[in-house]
Amino acid sequence: MSDLTRRDFLKLTTTALLTISGALGVGALFRFLDFQTEPPVKTEFDLGPAVNYPIGSRSLVPDVPALLIHNQNGFSALSLVCTHLGCTVEQKDSGFECPCHGSRYDANGKVLRGPAQKALRALRVEVNSTGNLILHTD
Amino acid sequence: MRPSFFHHLHPPTIPAKQSRWRYTLGAGGTAVFLMLVLGATGILELFYYVPTPDQAAQSIQTISYLVPFGGLVRNIHFWAAQLLLIVAAVHLVRVVFTGSYAPPRRFNYLLGLALFVFAILLDFTGYILRWDEGIQWALVVGTNLIKTIPLIGNAFYVVLTGGTQPGLPTLIRFYAWHIFGLALIVIILGVWHAFRVRRDGGIAVPPPPLRVDKERITRNELVRREVLAMLLTGAALILFAAFVPAPIAQPISDITIMAGDARAPWFFLWVQQMLKWGDPFILGVLVPLIVLAVLALIPYIFPKPADGELGKWFPRSNRLAQIVLAVIALLVIILTIFGSLPAS
Ligand code: HEM
Ligand code: FES
Repeated sequence: MSDLTRRDFLKLTTTALLTISGALGVGALFRFLDFQTEPPVKTEFDLGPAVNYPIGSRSLVPDVPALLIHNQNGFSALSLVCTHLGCTVEQKDSGFECPCHGSRYDANGKVLRGPAQKALRALRVEVNSTGNLILHTD
Repeated sequence: MRPSFFHHLHPPTIPAKQSRWRYTLGAGGTAVFLMLVLGATGILELFYYVPTPDQAAQSIQTISYLVPFGGLVRNIHFWAAQLLLIVAAVHLVRVVFTGSYAPPRRFNYLLGLALFVFAILLDFTGYILRWDEGIQWALVVGTNLIKTIPLIGNAFYVVLTGGTQPGLPTLIRFYAWHIFGLALIVIILGVWHAFRVRRDGGIAVPPPPLRVDKERITRNELVRREVLAMLLTGAALILFAAFVPAPIAQPISDITIMAGDARAPWFFLWVQQMLKWGDPFILGVLVPLIVLAVLALIPYIFPKPADGELGKWFPRSNRLAQIVLAVIALLVIILTIFGSLPAS
């Protein structure tokens, strides 16, 4: 083996080792930062007695945020989180409009105008044994 | 006297023509000065700022309205940060329009571009520290954009925000990046950038045989001009900060369903405007990265300006690079103007 190839070999080994350690370090850093300290986000909201929401009512539930609708077909709820990039939509002429990039939805949450592609999410609502309304966001 | 870093950056004499205001615009030097101002005022804010969602906005109100000179300190920090972005952009435009990025200065051009990007990140993280109604949609949209990146988006989101939605860990992380991580990177890059300026032979000028204007100025004259620029910028900044307050808004509360301004901070208005048109990943992530890549490639893909044409504005031999940059700048400015108009 000539001197040069031996030197090349050492150089290659050094580079390889450095690259591997670097990659491992970045991987470890990523995992370190990937840890979540907060408990998982709440997905169940107790809205109180169902009788507080008479037929024909449309009530805002700000901390979800959602709109609770009670009509002849029973309770239903629409998420007010814009499906584009997550701003909260505002109620506007019987439908909804997003202040961030202007998406529009009709009263049922269907997209009228982009950039949003998907309809507002329908959320599950149920009445529990004590007569309270429970809203699920998952 | 032993040569110091100061002497390294101030050789005994430098070419007169290339040290005129109308050539450098003084932009690089002003950026350094603004960073020092940001460091000093930022450290002062640390004594009162509380990085928790419950208290952040309140603590900024305390700084702004109660602490003696607190409002001035905060306003200077804010306006220096905005001015820094403008000055850095002007500096970039100057470098391209004078062809000064040509070898051997290619690498330093990249260092400068990286500094610009980190200044934007510092400005954005600082803006988020307000944690009031004025910033919440910028935070939601900005972080949700990360989620749109295929494959790694969701994991990257957690790394950045520390959770599945913005909250306490997010504010802590932005705080850590703002006052330490990003600041450290900027210091390292900044010192390196300044060091490379001298190593690459100072400001770009034609090689001696091709130099028409052989006049030079002394180190003292250079320092005199630098001090003058600092004094002027400093005075203007203090005056402006004394009369024009930095934006502030209500603390974020859960009661209001839709509150505050949905507008992005001014330096991201161009991205917000594009987001109105369609796919968030392409328009909000890919296009800005492509713009950055094109800027980074300028010294590598366009012909090197002729030696004799160095050290002056608009050398004919690099027209193409000038046009490309001008088009990018114009588009960004137009999009920014559209983005700043009230929603239709
Ligand atoms: C290039 C450097 C920097 C830039 C561009 C920058 C930018 C900003 C911006 C735009 C804000 C929001 C200001 C406001 O709305 O009032 C801010 C806030 C803040 N910055 Fe910086 N900053 C820089 C360096 C630093 C440094 C070095 C520190 C501390 C060591 C610091 C500490 C703070 C603190 C504590 C706040 C929160 C208080 C507040 O928002 O008024 N900054 N920064
Ligand atoms: S977040 Fe609603 S339109 Fe973009």
